[in-house]
Amino acid sequence: MSTQAVTVEYNDRIVRQFMLASIFWGIIGMAAGVLVASQLSWFQMNFETSWLSFGRLRPLHTNAAIFAFVGNMMFAGIYYSTQRLCKCRVASDTLSNIHFWGWQLIIVAAAITLPLGFTQGKEYAELIWPIDIAVAGIWLVFAANFFWTLGIRREPSLYVAIWFYIATIVTITMLYVVNNLAWPTNLFHSYSIYGGVQDALVQWWYGHNAVAFFLTTPILGIMYYFIPKAAGRPVYSYRLSVIHFWSLVFIYIWAGPHHLLNTALPGWLQALGMIFSLMLWAPSWGGMLNGLLTLRGAWDRLRTDPVVKFLAAGVTFYGMATFEGPLMSIKAVNSLSHYTDWTIGHVHGGTLGWNGFMAAGMFYWLAGRLWKSRHTTDDDPKYAGMSCQGLWSPALANMHFWVGLVGILLYVAAMWVGGIGSGIMYNATKDGGTLLAYPNFVEVLNSGLVKYAYIFRTIGGFLYLAGFGMLAVNIIMTVRKGIAVNGTIEVPTEDHSTQGRFSSFLNAPVLYCVSLILTACLWLLGEGFVMLVGMFGVILTTLMAIIHFEVSGAKWSVWYDKLIEHSFGFTVLTILAAAIGGAVQIIPTIVVQRAQNLEGRIQIEYTPLELAGRDIYVSEGCYNCHSQMIRTMVPDVMRYGGEHGYSRLGESIYDHPFQWGSKRTGPDLAREGGPIVDGYQYMRIGLRDNIWHYRHFLNPRDLETGSNMPMYPWLAQQKYSKSELPIKINAMRKLGVPYPLDYGETEIYHQVHIQSQEIATDIFFRELKDANPDWTDEQAMARAAELAPDLQDKKIVALIAYVQKLGAYRMKDEPAQTPGLNPPTDLAAEHGMGDDA
Amino acid sequence: MAKKKNEITLRPHVYDGIQEYDQHLPNWWLFTLYAAIAFSVVYWFFYFQSNVGQSDVQRLEAELVRIETVKLSSSIDVSNNDLFWQMASNPDFVDAGKQAFQTNCVQCHGADLKGGIGENLIDNQWKHGHYPADIYHTIYDGVKGTGMQAWGNQLGQKSITELVAYILSHHGDRASMESQATVKTD
Repeated sequence: MSTQAVTVEYNDRIVRQFMLASIFWGIIGMAAGVLVASQLSWFQMNFETSWLSFGRLRPLHTNAAIFAFVGNMMFAGIYYSTQRLCKCRVASDTLSNIHFWGWQLIIVAAAITLPLGFTQGKEYAELIWPIDIAVAGIWLVFAANFFWTLGIRREPSLYVAIWFYIATIVTITMLYVVNNLAWPTNLFHSYSIYGGVQDALVQWWYGHNAVAFFLTTPILGIMYYFIPKAAGRPVYSYRLSVIHFWSLVFIYIWAGPHHLLNTALPGWLQALGMIFSLMLWAPSWGGMLNGLLTLRGAWDRLRTDPVVKFLAAGVTFYGMATFEGPLMSIKAVNSLSHYTDWTIGHVHGGTLGWNGFMAAGMFYWLAGRLWKSRHTTDDDPKYAGMSCQGLWSPALANMHFWVGLVGILLYVAAMWVGGIGSGIMYNATKDGGTLLAYPNFVEVLNSGLVKYAYIFRTIGGFLYLAGFGMLAVNIIMTVRKGIAVNGTIEVPTEDHSTQGRFSSFLNAPVLYCVSLILTACLWLLGEGFVMLVGMFGVILTTLMAIIHFEVSGAKWSVWYDKLIEHSFGFTVLTILAAAIGGAVQIIPTIVVQRAQNLEGRIQIEYTPLELAGRDIYVSEGCYNCHSQMIRTMVPDVMRYGGEHGYSRLGESIYDHPFQWGSKRTGPDLAREGGPIVDGYQYMRIGLRDNIWHYRHFLNPRDLETGSNMPMYPWLAQQKYSKSELPIKINAMRKLGVPYPLDYGETEIYHQVHIQSQEIATDIFFRELKDANPDWTDEQAMARAAELAPDLQDKKIVALIAYVQKLGAYRMKDEPAQTPGLNPPTDLAAEHGMGDDA
Repeated sequence: MAKKKNEITLRPHVYDGIQEYDQHLPNWWLFTLYAAIAFSVVYWFFYFQSNVGQSDVQRLEAELVRIETVKLSSSIDVSNNDLFWQMASNPDFVDAGKQAFQTNCVQCHGADLKGGIGENLIDNQWKHGHYPADIYHTIYDGVKGTGMQAWGNQLGQKSITELVAYILSHHGDRASMESQATVKTD
């Protein structure tokens, strides 16, 4: 080895940029969170303004927290630690800069489009398709930069943090692209290519694993770097790292369906979602153990060091959330917890407690290292027993810790009380189980339990935001008092040895794992002979592996040590481990669960006006509070089922995207609609009549005392876009919705005209009759028909048409005659057609 | 292989100053992992391969049948108008009906029963029949195509009879109500 050495300067500028961006967006995202939380207690906080309404801001809050706050924090941590773990500067400063500025541009674009109502209507995947493409592109830039850096590394072996970064990059690429596949209808709008149950499954495969691979694995990697650094202790157990990494990557992917328990999703998928969530408990806790037990011998630092405080609390919250998650995935528990605030509390335990505190610990540790104080801090008693030398005020960081901790605990406890309490109330029955104990939805919402839980949630969230504000001040002051410096390292000049890329991953352990997984899948999914083959295959493989292990135990670790020197082989295996679960669940669903293969109920297609209304429903974010899924549970059927019972698979099969929802702040709407009224061509009336909906959209509290739904005055002022409907119908047809082929512009415009006229006239008729009780029906009808044109092109009419259609289905063996899709031939001349809004 | 039991090894490799122990996996941790796997295998076998476990739909339908049985066995003759008038003169029934009315009906029919979005209930003009049994069915089944939803599943028979008693209590005596009732058409 040459004795000559050169100095490598790390690119820490990119770390500083991502860190400051994370703090900036963190404050925005959390402030949005506090605002939307307050909207649930005080509807006035929606300000009767479209771009400030809950349905539009809640996606902004979630996206900002996940992709802007945690995203930027993750990139800061990855760029900092990867360079040091690879002993080389990041491969390309240009790619780093593109990554940084591209990501910030995406966030700005999201922050503009989401409040304007441009959305795909899928949770945490709301961003419209052009932004999605940008996200995928920037993500690939990041991936290229990262793997290039691995390629030129001077450290032959990959540290466990790098494993987690690899898993993050490859899996998020797969999830994001597959879930966001969509058919654009214009620059701002598209329909998911999946419909109904397929979309539900793909969405929650994505949604759950966005949590897994965006909010968990990169943060675990960061934990594996920063906890040993801050504590100055070796990692607790290498073999625990190995076991929990691979089991986590393999098992996590399967757990997505636990977001769809007790729904119309086929039972075997629900069961997979549940059992894999249970099996995920130990692998998750493996990470927590390795984090906490690394602190053994350094626990005294918990008293003195704000960094260790934050990191230890963060990992503890991780442990709490990953215990709570499997618990909530048990079907019986889920029947209580699903659609309630318990879920919201759970996810905030993860983001505020785990992500937010890990971020704070990391930032405090980094601050004094990225911006060196102008004075020497080594002997400063201010930093005694701390690992955050150079931080402006460790005392303020301590203050942040306690304020933030009280904030989270208030938040999570409030959501437990409100969520579990309301879940019990919604499911409670009386009179020998024949009646709901609380039949009125709003009654539960207004019970002290939920009401005060919401207020305490807002207070908790505000405290957390206040704590994070202290962090911002502390970091800004550190920046102002310090000088930006880049880390350096002395490395030998000689070339690092080139890596063999393809060897050493086709060997016994890998073959055993692959064979075990394949045979287990056969056992799981096969029937008869195939199942038996699978069962014996599993047993045989297990026995062989155990015998092999006993005979030559030492070789396994030798093999693994070799594997982690080969980033390519490692990456391929990670992709395989992460892809299997998704493939087993999604491919059969996409192939089999199509309308032509379903029995029983099939959804009736939307008329063009109803489709326009549905797009408004999605755009306003109604799905954030209203589900459209009556679960296979007695209380759900009693509350929402009416005479049609629980929701069947086919009833939403043409919904692109699906709207089953994940939270009921308002009641379920799956059966809100009804049949076409006698004497009308298209107008349907369901549980409530048109005038009810009209008044309810304008001021919900006129109809439901105590409702917290926002007011939607703009729906009665803005027009829906009629001219886009032929394109949208065509897109729907392309995606498999069986609109007749001869269904052209003329027919579409005509149908919109008639249906909107029927609804608008009905609304005015009722208004006039109420205002003038002495009018005859004919008088009122004539006047209503005169007034109708002013209203019938407004969004509110389309939305009412959609709501009145919800739940309409036919039986599979009935002829597919969507009412009115074949209009009389002579009417083209009758109405001014094509007169666009 | 020659390692002593419980010996803690520190792996030789150092990554940017970070070292790793190679501790044994905690036994309780391994136990939770194996227990979850074992439970999962049993669960899957129970529900999907042995045909022992009931599916959600089977369980739901059995439960709905049981509920119907309970309902049927405790139901009264709701076509008996005499019974309703008897209830209307019983303060317990009327009070219970008043409570149910205030929780569920005032938004459309008004606290004074004079209507709003919904019909006036004390002007003795009836769209769907003025006999107590008619009123009962209007509440129980709702009126299709209007805002009047079916309350049967939400309120149940007992509560609806109480509501009818409460409404009747606003109409004085039976003879005069029945003689003066008019049919309302829209």
